[in-house]
Amino acid sequence: MEKLQKFSPEKITSDLLPQKFGRRGIIWTAILIIICCIGAFAYIKQLRKGLIVTNMGDYVSWGIYISNFVFFVAISLVGSLITAIFRLSNVPWRTPLTRISEMIAVSAITFAALIIIVDMGRPERLVFLFTHGRLQSPIMWDVIVITTYFFLSLLLLYITLLPDIRILIGAKEKLGKPFSKLYRWLGSYWKGTAGQEKIRDRAITILCIVIIPVAFCIHTVTSWLFATTYRPGWDSTNFGAYFVSGAFLVGAGAVVVAMYVFRKVYKLDHYITERHFDKMGRILVMLALLYLYFNINEYLVPAFKMKKEEQAHLSGLFAGEYAPMFWFAILVGMIIPILIVVFKRGRRPKPMFVAGTMVVVGAWFKRYLIVTPTMLHPFLPKYDAPARYSHYFPSWEEWAITAGSLAGVLLIITILARIFPVISIYKTLTDHETEQPSS
Amino acid sequence: MKLNNPHHKLFIIFLLLLGTTISKTNAQDSVAFTTVLSVRYFLPENKVPYIDISTKKKIGRKSEPLKGIPVNVYFNEALEKNLLGKIITGINGEGWVALPAFFKATWDSLNEFKFVAVSDPSPGVESLTGDVTIKKAILVIDTTSSEGTRTVTAQLKEKKGNEWVPVKEIEMKVGVNRMDGSILSAGDEETYTADSTGTATVEFKRDSLPGDQKGNIVLVAKVEDNESYGNLVVEKSVPWGVSFTPEKNFFDQRTLWTTRFKTPFWLLFMAYSIVIGVWGTLFYLVFQIVKIKKMGREVRPQT
Repeated sequence: MEKLQKFSPEKITSDLLPQKFGRRGIIWTAILIIICCIGAFAYIKQLRKGLIVTNMGDYVSWGIYISNFVFFVAISLVGSLITAIFRLSNVPWRTPLTRISEMIAVSAITFAALIIIVDMGRPERLVFLFTHGRLQSPIMWDVIVITTYFFLSLLLLYITLLPDIRILIGAKEKLGKPFSKLYRWLGSYWKGTAGQEKIRDRAITILCIVIIPVAFCIHTVTSWLFATTYRPGWDSTNFGAYFVSGAFLVGAGAVVVAMYVFRKVYKLDHYITERHFDKMGRILVMLALLYLYFNINEYLVPAFKMKKEEQAHLSGLFAGEYAPMFWFAILVGMIIPILIVVFKRGRRPKPMFVAGTMVVVGAWFKRYLIVTPTMLHPFLPKYDAPARYSHYFPSWEEWAITAGSLAGVLLIITILARIFPVISIYKTLTDHETEQPSS
Repeated sequence: MKLNNPHHKLFIIFLLLLGTTISKTNAQDSVAFTTVLSVRYFLPENKVPYIDISTKKKIGRKSEPLKGIPVNVYFNEALEKNLLGKIITGINGEGWVALPAFFKATWDSLNEFKFVAVSDPSPGVESLTGDVTIKKAILVIDTTSSEGTRTVTAQLKEKKGNEWVPVKEIEMKVGVNRMDGSILSAGDEETYTADSTGTATVEFKRDSLPGDQKGNIVLVAKVEDNESYGNLVVEKSVPWGVSFTPEKNFFDQRTLWTTRFKTPFWLLFMAYSIVIGVWGTLFYLVFQIVKIKKMGREVRPQT
């Protein structure tokens, strides 16, 4: 950041303007589009033939789609963590991270909503939730809260973008034509007057205040989808806090990964510095320890009691069919990242990227473990059920749709990063101005 | 050759043990078992009779159902022209064939019948045969009430010539149909025997039994696994129970678990307050954007 003081505003603007895709960018986007197309193809097949193409059945009626949904909801929470919490607590080094986290939040919540529709099998029936929805149902709460969080995230991204859009319109010559119409449509009215600034500032503060409880609600309500049913592994009063802490961890992990990638690809070493990684590393350790604490509560206490009804479920996780995945999620998703990042050397960009990736990958498997093994162990005894109902492994259609949705999230982030600056130019310039030694 | 090396001795002992275990396992696999096909006759409510088929595998004292066995049911003799129906035994090893409409003329003309069931050979199960011979009969139930005493009478009537003649000293159950399919005896005895006139008379002692909303309970008389007549059951609905009127209709209350129109007020209030509060803020923010837009238009472009 000290180096940044030597940079001219023109240099900063030039560095932070969206950049055209290079060869690697085109290949990356093409791969994502291909995966999305395969997912779309599988989804069309599912639409035509119904959920029979999946390997879900009478017992595992929530499979990989719902695991993926919980994962997306968790990641989307990052928008509120970085933007809202950091802003309200006046964290001075937040500037290069806020836009990235807002982009991740918008793309993740978009696909969280879409994947629920995929899981419905009959998407046209979504309308019944509004025409015949029961407010008593946690599913209805989830629909309300996801819609609300989606609009809040979108609004937060848009309002914070306004001054940057003005800069983008001004840099038409450098950026070329591709998005100039879009920029004008989105923010030609922003003139940066004192009156506009005042309203915008107040709007962002209001958004930051509102988004925190809504973000807590979104993941608490998602946890209630599970905790309000009486099943081994879900019958917990701790689930809301457990889910929220997990969501903060995976969100922070995703931001760290995105920070590293954007820093590398867009050559933003002077903007996303080692100091940012160090700070995010400290947060990551704290969040991982918190989530580990909740995991110990969620698994060790029931395991100590080992109620007969929960025995099969817990044994399956600790030493049975799901043990490799369970220990992978615990070790890779929490313990190893803690061990890496807890040391100062581990908080440098590369080890942080490794730890962040581990957190995100571990978190995906953790969501799968929360959903599927429980579904396989209902409290009511299975009666007259075919043997295949006792196991679940997603069909290729489910894998394709899941991969498509994951690629979709990355594609939205990629497109947003192509169109808009990944670091707020306006805020960086303002920070730069205030940090300049008075002459 | 001497086996001086202790490891060799251990290895030979291990092989012997292994061999013994394998031979024992094979012996267990080839434990003798017998297969049984049983045929039973049922007449519910004096209407269409059916033949119940059951296939089982008996290993020692245990018996297991044999599922998926194809069985043909014949009248009198296992001939194609006498075929009444075909079944494949279900997961419980059972299946049934209702007497078909084309059999009515034969049914009306005779008073005694033999039903034969023959299974097709299946993998591991040879062809099985079973039969049942029954006399045509009906079961009649009636009730009387006098001076506060309620009586249930049941008669098994056998067809002799063109007449229905009550059967004497036949054992039957008389009682009230329970929801689980069992019978709660109407009197003190578990079963009752028809007297010399062929009538089983039972004083009804089950006052205050819960009935339906009109106080109806279902009386039932049942002859079970009789060698000559098979299984017969007949029911009669009588208003001898206590009418059941729910004190409060659960689904008429505003509870968490009822329809959307019964959502509790407190939940509606809380949910709508939150939704209106948050979405009100959202609309306010959108309005602020509109305001910013308006302000931007008012700014004259600098020349």
